[in-house]
Amino acid sequence: MTLFRQFILRALLRDPRRSLATVAGVTLGVAVVLAIRLANTGSIRGFETALDVVAGKTSLEIVGAGVGVPDAQLADLGWLREYGLVSPVIARTARLRAPDGTEHPLQVLGVDVLRDRPFREYQLLEFAQGGREPSAQELLALLLDSRSVVLTERFASRHGIDLDGSVQLIIGDRVHDAVVRGLLLDEGPARVVDGQLALLDVAVAQLLFDRIGWLDRVEIQLFEAGAIDDAEQTIAARLPDGLRVQRPAQRGRQVEKMLAAFHFNLTALSYIALVVGLFLVYNTVAVSVISRRREIGTLRALGTTRRTVLGLFLGEAALLAAVGATVGLPTGWLLAQGAVRLTSTTVNALYITSAATVPPLTLVDVLLAFGVAMPLALAAAAIPALEGSRVTPIAAVRGADRLASQDDPRRSRRAALVAAAFFGLGGWLATLDPVGGLPLYGLAATLAVIGGAAALVPVLLALLRRVGRGVLVRWFKVEGMLAHANLSASIGRLTVSVAALVVSLAMLAAIAIMIGSFRETVTYWVGQTLRADLFVAAAGRGPAGPSPTISADAEQRVAAHPAVTAIDQFRTVDLPYGPDGDLIILGAGTFEVLLEHGGLLFKEPADGRAAMAKAVGADAVVVSEAFALKQGVSVEDTIELDTPQGARPFQVVAIYYDYSSDRGLVVMDRPTFARHYGTQRPGGLTVYLTPEADPETVREELLAALGPDHRLFINTNATLRAEVIRIFDATFAITYALEAIAIFVAIMGVATTLLTLVLERREELAMLRLVGAGRRQIRRMVVIEATMLGVLSQGLGLAVGVVLSLILIYVINVQSFGWTIQFSLPVWFLVRSTLLVAVATALAGLYPARVATSFGGEAAR
Amino acid sequence: MTRLRSLRRPRASAAKPVWGAVFQCLAALAALVARPFRAALAAPVARPFRAALARLCMAAVLLGCGSVSVLLAQDPALVTSDGWRLAEPGYTLQFPRDHGSHPEYRIEWWYYTGNLDAANGRRFGYQVTFFRIGVDPAPTNPSRWAVRDLHMAHLAVTDVSAEQHLTAERFDRGGVGWAGARQGTLDVWNGDWRADVDGETHRLQAVDGSFGVDLRLEPGKSPTAHGDAGLSRKGAEPGNASHYYSLTRMPTTGQLRLGDDRLDVTGTSWMDHEFGTTFLEPGQVGWDWFSLQLDDGTDLMIYKFRRGDGQPDAFSSGTWVDPDGTTDGLDHDQVVLVPGRRWTSPSSDASYPVDWQIQVPSRQATLTVDALVDAQELDTANSTGVTYWEGAVAVSGRIGEREVSGRGYLEMTGYSGRPMSEVFR
Repeated sequence: MTLFRQFILRALLRDPRRSLATVAGVTLGVAVVLAIRLANTGSIRGFETALDVVAGKTSLEIVGAGVGVPDAQLADLGWLREYGLVSPVIARTARLRAPDGTEHPLQVLGVDVLRDRPFREYQLLEFAQGGREPSAQELLALLLDSRSVVLTERFASRHGIDLDGSVQLIIGDRVHDAVVRGLLLDEGPARVVDGQLALLDVAVAQLLFDRIGWLDRVEIQLFEAGAIDDAEQTIAARLPDGLRVQRPAQRGRQVEKMLAAFHFNLTALSYIALVVGLFLVYNTVAVSVISRRREIGTLRALGTTRRTVLGLFLGEAALLAAVGATVGLPTGWLLAQGAVRLTSTTVNALYITSAATVPPLTLVDVLLAFGVAMPLALAAAAIPALEGSRVTPIAAVRGADRLASQDDPRRSRRAALVAAAFFGLGGWLATLDPVGGLPLYGLAATLAVIGGAAALVPVLLALLRRVGRGVLVRWFKVEGMLAHANLSASIGRLTVSVAALVVSLAMLAAIAIMIGSFRETVTYWVGQTLRADLFVAAAGRGPAGPSPTISADAEQRVAAHPAVTAIDQFRTVDLPYGPDGDLIILGAGTFEVLLEHGGLLFKEPADGRAAMAKAVGADAVVVSEAFALKQGVSVEDTIELDTPQGARPFQVVAIYYDYSSDRGLVVMDRPTFARHYGTQRPGGLTVYLTPEADPETVREELLAALGPDHRLFINTNATLRAEVIRIFDATFAITYALEAIAIFVAIMGVATTLLTLVLERREELAMLRLVGAGRRQIRRMVVIEATMLGVLSQGLGLAVGVVLSLILIYVINVQSFGWTIQFSLPVWFLVRSTLLVAVATALAGLYPARVATSFGGEAAR
Repeated sequence: MTRLRSLRRPRASAAKPVWGAVFQCLAALAALVARPFRAALAAPVARPFRAALARLCMAAVLLGCGSVSVLLAQDPALVTSDGWRLAEPGYTLQFPRDHGSHPEYRIEWWYYTGNLDAANGRRFGYQVTFFRIGVDPAPTNPSRWAVRDLHMAHLAVTDVSAEQHLTAERFDRGGVGWAGARQGTLDVWNGDWRADVDGETHRLQAVDGSFGVDLRLEPGKSPTAHGDAGLSRKGAEPGNASHYYSLTRMPTTGQLRLGDDRLDVTGTSWMDHEFGTTFLEPGQVGWDWFSLQLDDGTDLMIYKFRRGDGQPDAFSSGTWVDPDGTTDGLDHDQVVLVPGRRWTSPSSDASYPVDWQIQVPSRQATLTVDALVDAQELDTANSTGVTYWEGAVAVSGRIGEREVSGRGYLEMTGYSGRPMSEVFR
């Protein structure tokens, strides 16, 4: 222990900058992994807390096919009372406009309090002051009026809303005046959603949310809570077609599954930063070993065993990793705040509307941080630590026992063979099918390619030694020559850090290529598909979940405009599909209008339009590419969709390209939809205008015609395209952020490697100074070395990146999301990033360069 | 009474429904203060009141649907400003039509009580009550869940030998038909509790988990129409009344469920059916109500308010039903009620007189009424929050020289917590 303190701790403290850099590397790695984990959990938890609010003490719930549970069917379900208490529920989201004019999203719960009282706690402020809870009847009295709403005390006090004060509820395009009849105390359901909860009577909720005749679900609180399995089975057997019984947690699981691919890819990406950070541990221990070979020799000569020496250096790695992980925990939590912001746009735009918040750190996170960082750090440190333990007492005293430079052409050949094997393996893995919807083999393929790239690094360095000299000498004269000689002499030492940089840069290039290609594809698709002039949506409409609807009145006002030639009414609902109950999106569109005006891009068959024409009014559907891929469905297949009357067959007539959701879309003609799912108000209107009309002018006129009573978002073609691209870019912002961190860590790795080399060559450098080399020349030499490494890594990184991007685009993306992406190289981005890497590595060389110039004559002795 | 004395046009009182309750109380108070003598001078009217009435009215007031004013619409029927029809003379009770629901009136109930004997000699009392409380006669919200009526039901079984009193309650909106009442014939239900007819026979099914009844009740005597041909006037103003009849002696058979036991039982039941729109009566602390079936074939119903000021209440009344079904109204001053031994409820601390002496001098009747079980208190916390005592009793005494005995039911309200007149607020 004393030895550890004197030998390792003192050395670490003597060079705080290097120690800090290493700890920072581990910290960042751990932090990024944690941040992504927390952000992922947060986005699901945001949904699940909302779920908790609604679930209350519910044991089971009855749900319907897509559009909900029809009241009419419920009348025959009186037998449910044999199992427990039964409560009808409407659970939606709305916006509330406070008296100060600000607007806030709210979870809205529409219940029959007479039935719901045992399910959820309703403690009202005005009753709590009298020391009691309101009776069901008193609650009902508060809620019966169609203007009544009950909010939470927390929300009300935050936004200056008084009891019996007036607020406005914005639901779909309608603005409703409401009176706050009660304030829920800050406990139970009111607390879990941070007070963003509004309580309505179920009848009022049906009216306001355009759900007359429908419930979102019927909840059951079993008399015997223990018999949940039996109850679930017997209820399932007794339910009529079109209704299902499930546990409330099922909805959470569906959402989790929906987000699984997105989260999986983020997690995979986050581990790159951690792995790169661990290269730093390798470097630090290596530096530690090299700079103290003499001391090690002395220790060995004094009788210290190899085991002890190994233990000392492994201890150093463990210490660095422990400090890094400890600091990484809070850092990760902080980073998660940013990550949630970055991912919530995507989650909200593509999956679910949820108020994502970063969950607090738990013991699991602590265990994860240490459990991942410590073993990996020890593994990374094992190579240099073993090397240190092999230092012989004599060689150390002589100071002549340097790590031999691998100048063996056979070694290069062997490395090339290993690389080829890795690439071959990667190629094979890329052909395998996904596992449970997750691209596990695809990911393994990228790992194989990365392994191959790492194996190629010594080959490349050997190549540099052979062919690089001429160029360097021509460009940088004597400093170039010296740099070349130094690099050539340290290939073994450089391999690991260059490999780390190559891997990071390859991933960056691959992701950049993938995103660039994706963006091109989406831009093309948007250009082809978005043909309409105006897009009308109700406030707060998302692509998933129950979408707010457009009122008949608003629709009539839009249709009445003289410039409007055609309107496609669009409505989507979530529908569980297949044996796993994947939540797909079922859409209803006006096929005749789509055929005449729209521009769907069909994948199959060749004449998609003709095929779609056959689907007008028929029990036939067009499906998105993502649906076809994920569910293994082809044209002419028949699929079964749940309807309120039970499962019904629908023929797939065409597959079209769609990038709006990876969940898979099934679209049927509006009359077909109405026939099976009942007449439902549309959630969006796609409006086509006369050729001479100016969309912007018509938009203004429509908004004026709708007046303040209707809240509709009207996008023109141009603004909607811009919005699509904005969401797209927001989605990938986190990808770039993660990559930037990985590259930053990798560049720090290069700097510490160079530092290692510099320390190793302290005698040579001193000698150079003695024979007349100026400080500037030495500095130039080290900077050239650094830049060389950067450029070289970027070169190999780009090449490997193209290969990786092919896997990302054609394997991982297809398996995770089911999208066809046209490959395209974002040339400008790659050029820019190459320049950036060169500059960054040159800057990273400045510190080792300064250290190098500090060795004077005495070091040579 | 709580009604405004003036007749108004419908729009003149278009107060928001939610404020209706407050407005009503203020109006009632104003009416009371302005005409202290008139109320005192009001002619005593035979009108049986029931705890149910209070509960219903309280529910209605809480729900903000108390009728505020009365108007004479073009329709000859009296209709309140919020659309409920008032009970008035000229209505002829017809059966089976009037066993059914009368949704145009705000408040309606079907009230069954009875004493039962099991084959093994065990004695039981039971009470099954269905209430309909009108909230909005024509809701504008087309939702099936929009509340037109609320449906409330109480079930109680007294196991005399075990001195056990089991109760259950239900409170629901009509919704998708999980509670309701049909028009034209007897068919009223709340969940799987139901009262309907099979020919002339009433069927009564109400089981809650581990206890309840499944009974068939024969009509027995023909229906007793109370008051003036079934119009039970409650005040001087037109419309302040209810339509009210009873089946006072219904031979009953069926099963009684108690835990795992399913006991065959026989006995006698009493059924009340009353519907009307305006009922409220502030100033009354509570009331005591008796329905007695004597072994000589006489049935007796007595009802008496307890006023806060100790004055005799002009609206207390009773009905004497002879064995042949002939009825005779009893005014408040024709009945003397003397409370005896008291029982204090451990849960509510209310002290109820569980023994009574009843004197009807005009009939030379002196009767003693004893509770079969002291603890027959109901706490309806989940619906109305009113605590009251309703239970099976034994009767003995004399009518003239004849010794009589019998069975019956006793209801006592206003002994717990606030006076009923305050509960109304």
